[in-house]
Amino acid sequence: MVTRRLFVIDRPDHFLYYVEIVAKGEALGEFEHLILLAVARLGRQAYGMQVRREIAERTGRDPSIGAVYATLERLAGKGLVTSSISEPTPERGGRAKRSFELTGQGMEALDRTRRELDSMLEGLELPIRGGAAG
Amino acid sequence: MMALAVARSLLAVIAGPDHADFLIGDLEEEMRARTGTRAGWYVRQVVRSVVPLISMRIRSGEFSGLVAAACFGAMLPLAILDRLWSLVYSQIPLKDGFERAPAYLALNVIALCCCSAGAGLIFASHERPRLLAIAVALAAGLAMWSAKGSTPGLYVVAVLVLAPVSAVAGAKFTERKAP
Repeated sequence: MVTRRLFVIDRPDHFLYYVEIVAKGEALGEFEHLILLAVARLGRQAYGMQVRREIAERTGRDPSIGAVYATLERLAGKGLVTSSISEPTPERGGRAKRSFELTGQGMEALDRTRRELDSMLEGLELPIRGGAAG
Repeated sequence: MMALAVARSLLAVIAGPDHADFLIGDLEEEMRARTGTRAGWYVRQVVRSVVPLISMRIRSGEFSGLVAAACFGAMLPLAILDRLWSLVYSQIPLKDGFERAPAYLALNVIALCCCSAGAGLIFASHERPRLLAIAVALAAGLAMWSAKGSTPGLYVVAVLVLAPVSAVAGAKFTERKAP
């Protein structure tokens, strides 16, 4: 059996890092899931760069601000987050900030994804015997 | 500083007017917060953001007017005229080569100008004129490149100049008519 590894998108040193695992319908893509979790953790403090920093600190990945922002925009289109615009500040060079917040639908999506993952992991012993690592 | 200014301008172009302010603000804030961060970090962030931001804008349908104007205003008319000439040429016995008559090339330019102006009127009335001109010129260039036979230099210049100008004129006319 031939196994293909999706190694290109998951390496922090990859120059044009952009996860294009776009979720279809209601399911969350991997990167969307991470972004939603970061927004949930940050609460009202969630804006593009803060979300990027949260993901970088917790996962060791180094996503670009454009990838984070594009995903936030997609999640807003799905109704999973809402955004609000704050007043321009001097530390931002006189530019406004767009903050994101989780909606009820977003919380449901996170909850559903967690249940799905829990269900898939139930009874599994990690690392799996006979897997790539073993 | 030069690299920063170029990166900032690039980000403003690729993010578009709706998103550029927030993205540039985020990067500026991060640069100030991180002491010792070099311009290279900023430039890398911008370069790595090009693909996701462009695909975001394509997905949002922001470029659909431009694509429609380019296809219907330049690419399709030139392709149809090229096919028409092929059909006419196939009826001529004892021909040599595949050269389009100068009068036919002039007709191409006139038809292209009319179609580009029409496309500007219909599809791209709200698009920015510079982007519209670039899209139409690219589509016309692509159509000429894929056409059969040789393309005289004067014809290429006429198409690449007059098609975008006509499209922009059409778009401007619609804007002026709009309340």
